[in-house]
Amino acid sequence: MPKVVSIHSYRGGTGKSNFTANLATAVAMQGHRVAIVDTDLPSPGIHNLFGLEPEQTGKTLNSYLWSESSIEDAAYDIGDSLGIGEPGKLFLVPSSVKADDIARILKDGYDVRLMNDGFRNLVKALQLDFLFIDTHPGLSKETFLSIAISHVLILILRPDKQDYQGTAVTMDVARQLNVRKMLLAINKVHSKLNPDALKQKVEETYREPVAGIFPLSEDVVQLASEGVFCVQFPDHPVSQEFIKVAQRISEA
Amino acid sequence: MSDIGDLQSLTSSITAVTSPFRRYLSELHEKYKVINDGAVADYIPELALAKPEWFGICVGTSEGQVFEVGDCDQLFTIQSISKAFVFGLALEDHGREYVNSKVSVEPTGEAFNSIVLDEVTNRPYNPMVNAGAIATADLIKGDNGTQRLKRMLEMFKRYTGREHDINVPVFLSEKATGYRNRAMAYLMLNFGMVSEKIDETLDLYFQQCSVLVNARDLAMLSATLANGGVNPVTQERALDERYVQDVISVMLTCGMYDGSGAWAYRVGMPAKSGVGGGITAIAPGKLGIGTFSPLLDAKGNSVRGIKVCEDLSRDFGLHLFNVATPEHNLQQWIDGDASLDDW
Repeated sequence: MPKVVSIHSYRGGTGKSNFTANLATAVAMQGHRVAIVDTDLPSPGIHNLFGLEPEQTGKTLNSYLWSESSIEDAAYDIGDSLGIGEPGKLFLVPSSVKADDIARILKDGYDVRLMNDGFRNLVKALQLDFLFIDTHPGLSKETFLSIAISHVLILILRPDKQDYQGTAVTMDVARQLNVRKMLLAINKVHSKLNPDALKQKVEETYREPVAGIFPLSEDVVQLASEGVFCVQFPDHPVSQEFIKVAQRISEA
Repeated sequence: MSDIGDLQSLTSSITAVTSPFRRYLSELHEKYKVINDGAVADYIPELALAKPEWFGICVGTSEGQVFEVGDCDQLFTIQSISKAFVFGLALEDHGREYVNSKVSVEPTGEAFNSIVLDEVTNRPYNPMVNAGAIATADLIKGDNGTQRLKRMLEMFKRYTGREHDINVPVFLSEKATGYRNRAMAYLMLNFGMVSEKIDETLDLYFQQCSVLVNARDLAMLSATLANGGVNPVTQERALDERYVQDVISVMLTCGMYDGSGAWAYRVGMPAKSGVGGGITAIAPGKLGIGTFSPLLDAKGNSVRGIKVCEDLSRDFGLHLFNVATPEHNLQQWIDGDASLDDW
């Protein structure tokens, strides 16, 4: 059965899009049919990591939400350029980066019912094994929807107090929405911190498993938002960590 | 973050979007939106403006969850659906004995606009035919027409949880062309069944038919009755609990015009339809259904609305007298569980 994986963080700047791109790629590389939907309509960005230019994306998630196209028509096959071989597939449904479109989203919001139907249509039309949802940070009606429909919700946090607190709030909401499975990913972990002790502490605090710990890595920063790290450096420890999490997701 | 204070209502609105029950309603909507049988009412030009493709389905449960699919915000005139609820208000104003002395509760099998009164008592047959509805409107208390209209609009607000207006062009057209209703009112005046303030009462009757509602309002009207007269979302009482049974039973026997018998047999949900394209239907203790599609059959009932109610009744066992295990368990489909997680 297809699985929906939402990636969320309470605050911005946690590396959510980067994490989503790498994890989804790692899952696709294991031979699954995968799509990513960028629901961060107010501040889209994940398309950059896949080298998808705005000129190439005539149709976007916005087109679907405004009834100008079907959602599958706004899905772009990005697997080939990343070297993902059969039977693996990777699609991206990007959000519009046009200022007018973003303004319209900020002003009017969008119909969460339509978004819900869109996710389901996409899974059927592209015969997906996995649907990854990259969310907008914070809590809103729109992120509530992504949380509610997830089979797996991955919460990304950095080891700092503000993220700890925000993550606790998000988890309360997720439990209210009867989320089936939650995983935590700790990103930008300073080299001075002991990862095992950190993992133990976070798991004790939230009573949910930590699926991966990612260092504050200059290598990743260097590549910044220009490529998918685990494609470019498959043997790097960070890529190995992504593969580990991907394994966990596939088996969940 | 401040709106997270109302976490409960936000989570419940999201659950209503993701629930398998809403998915079921979406599929019903898909299934029946292609049916284009029937015709839009055109006895006054304003009604003929309705678009045939408009189609909304809304269900409100007695727990206060609301499921919406399609055109649930589109406003239309309530028309005859008002009759059931104004009957409730008349009961509150005068009590059962007095109201029954003016209007009987016997199904006619005649069309909604028939000019027939009981030959012995001179009463109109029931509050759902036009004659009975006019006699019922006559009973609504208030010092003048404005006050009576206000009381009526306030009543609708208690049921739906929002303010209502009337569509003035529809009201004026109905008033200008309602010769038959005017004739019925005078016939009843002749028998002493209505008071002499005929013009004011007819205005009130035309106004009650011109109240603007949407499919969600229709679901809340019946969900409130299903919940014993208390709006399940606002928790406000809309109808004295003593009269809930009166309103629901008249809807069961007379609500679907001269199609009421077959409806009670096949669907088994007390319901009321209007020529604006609305139907409101009740599964007591469980839920209320509101449908809107302006394509009407020859009896004046919404074609798609009937089909939606038939399917819901069959699939979830909502027929009043059903004892067989239905195909779908309502609670399970509303709450959702892993077995229904059809991706």
